[in-house]
Amino acid sequence: MLRTENLRISLTNKRTTTPHLVENVSLAFKPGELTLILGANGAGKSTLLNALAGTRVRHPALQQQGRVTLDNQDLAQFPAKELARRRAVMPQQVQLDFPFKVHEVIAMGRSPYGMDSQSQRITDQAMALLEVDHLQHRDYPSLSGGEQQRVQLARVLAQIWPHGDKPRPQADHEAGHVKRHRVLLLDECTSALDPAHQHQVLDIIKQFTTPDIISCAVLHDLPLAARYGDRVILMKQGRVIADGTPRQVLTADNLAATYDLRTRILQHQEVDHPIIVGLGRATQRGLP
Amino acid sequence: MYRVNPIALWGIFAAALVVASAWSLVTGALHIPSRELVAVLKQGLGFSAIEPVPLHLEITLLQIRLPRLVMALLVGAALALSGAAIQGLFRNPLADPGLIGVSSGAALGAVSIIVLGDTLFSSWVWLSGRWALPVAAFVASLITTLVIYRISTRSGYTQVATLLLAGIAINAIAGAATGLLTFIADDSELRSITFWSMGSLTQSSWQDVAAMLPFIVIPLLLLPLFAPALNGFLMGETVAEHLGFPIRWVKRCIILLTAMAVGAAVAFSGVIGFLGLVVPHLLRLVIGPDHRLLLPASALCGALLLTVADMFARTVVAPAELPIGLIMAIIGGPFFLALLLSPALKPGGVA
Repeated sequence: MLRTENLRISLTNKRTTTPHLVENVSLAFKPGELTLILGANGAGKSTLLNALAGTRVRHPALQQQGRVTLDNQDLAQFPAKELARRRAVMPQQVQLDFPFKVHEVIAMGRSPYGMDSQSQRITDQAMALLEVDHLQHRDYPSLSGGEQQRVQLARVLAQIWPHGDKPRPQADHEAGHVKRHRVLLLDECTSALDPAHQHQVLDIIKQFTTPDIISCAVLHDLPLAARYGDRVILMKQGRVIADGTPRQVLTADNLAATYDLRTRILQHQEVDHPIIVGLGRATQRGLP
Repeated sequence: MYRVNPIALWGIFAAALVVASAWSLVTGALHIPSRELVAVLKQGLGFSAIEPVPLHLEITLLQIRLPRLVMALLVGAALALSGAAIQGLFRNPLADPGLIGVSSGAALGAVSIIVLGDTLFSSWVWLSGRWALPVAAFVASLITTLVIYRISTRSGYTQVATLLLAGIAINAIAGAATGLLTFIADDSELRSITFWSMGSLTQSSWQDVAAMLPFIVIPLLLLPLFAPALNGFLMGETVAEHLGFPIRWVKRCIILLTAMAVGAAVAFSGVIGFLGLVVPHLLRLVIGPDHRLLLPASALCGALLLTVADMFARTVVAPAELPIGLIMAIIGGPFFLALLLSPALKPGGVA
């Protein structure tokens, strides 16, 4: 279980005090579940995701109160390498201008373990899973934005690949029969993809979310959220305003409150999830 | 892009290094036949020579050319390795210790000791003796690196334009301070200062080699250990952290080790620019940007390039000598311009 307890994150400057980016958020993310975080631009989604990742080196003006725990252990107390074996993060953007080959980029996901034959095998498997193996000898900077995004996802999955960590008898002995969950955090991982690849990638993430994986993704696409989310959280101005299954959360009222968006929610016998049609902004403003 | 097998490349460099070293020992104003070289080396290893080598040849070899060769190897390796490491740290292929002002900061430290060593810093020189110069250059280069890093890095991201512009400003400030010291220097100090600003290996002695050895050998041994972390850094500090690298510690170590190497190199051989820029850049084109291969290859290739350049400096206008800093600038300046103009030489610019 990945939990936040009364998490507050604010940007404190000498001159200005901005409202909290994340305001008193207490959430529990369950293993085997894909949780999707939705909200308007600047709602605090990425800030929350960064806190869930336990990122330590951050902007000096960011102040965090409250705890984030993984399997009841404070993220701040994990040694860096141990944390890297337990959670992987895909950022919104990765800028890499040096001509690494695609397979080298994916292999970097294995850096917490070292490059042995197992890491080599996992790199190949991750490459095959994301269907980027035909690109493996290409220079990463020469790829299109969507291809780069799929390569980055392969790198991130390789970092917490099933059975990718060597069994360490001492650690397992100490932990007894307590399960060691792994965490997958994704920040807009489909933003550069074409529709078919968006479905492919979310499908892969969903399959990857086995009972020992906790997955959490920030997403903007409402139809995709309705189709793939086990659980959807709506955020506005740093607060959680709705939390539940897609059918419970993705209602016209909630979406109007979150986005200032008029929608119609439809049902169709061929699909078992709500169909969301965006109609326009709720409050109209003409050109001056 | 096509890549060369790194093991093969290391082999070629190592072989070329041996050949270039032997060649540079026998050539010069005074030609030494190669069988005399072999005889002297045999003697040095404890074998008794069949016929004694003439004394003037033995002294030239052991007291002049050999320490100078060792100096060229060490300085070349240190500058190229530091260049590769700094480029990884700043995520930028243009970050060269000379270009961003670290070398001129170190030169200012060195010149301060030359000019003010008998007055302002006399107690320091008395205390540290032979180490006064390298330590001063090291401290000055460390301060410059930290200042540059602070100026150009905001919340984990290094702004390239700021980095290069800050480098220009630091170069100007350090240059002005060095100029001021030149202004108040006396004649013999002036000669030494000229030597720093143009870069030269002429003064190399075994004592110098011994004094600089730790400052160069420690970074040479330790910097390659940070290669996996530097690979992670190329995707950004946050990604490197998420991959489990202790990024604050890594940054501090790399800054400290490169400042050590550049400071020592500048203290003993003056400002030799562009080596740290040209060597890693060319190597990236042939073996790729992976620091695990790039760092050792840069050290080897830097040692090779500086040995050849120094041989050139000694022989082309013999018995006089060209300052090696000038030779590197003549090679490096046009290379840098080509870098700016050609998309094929830019990393990532390869379609």
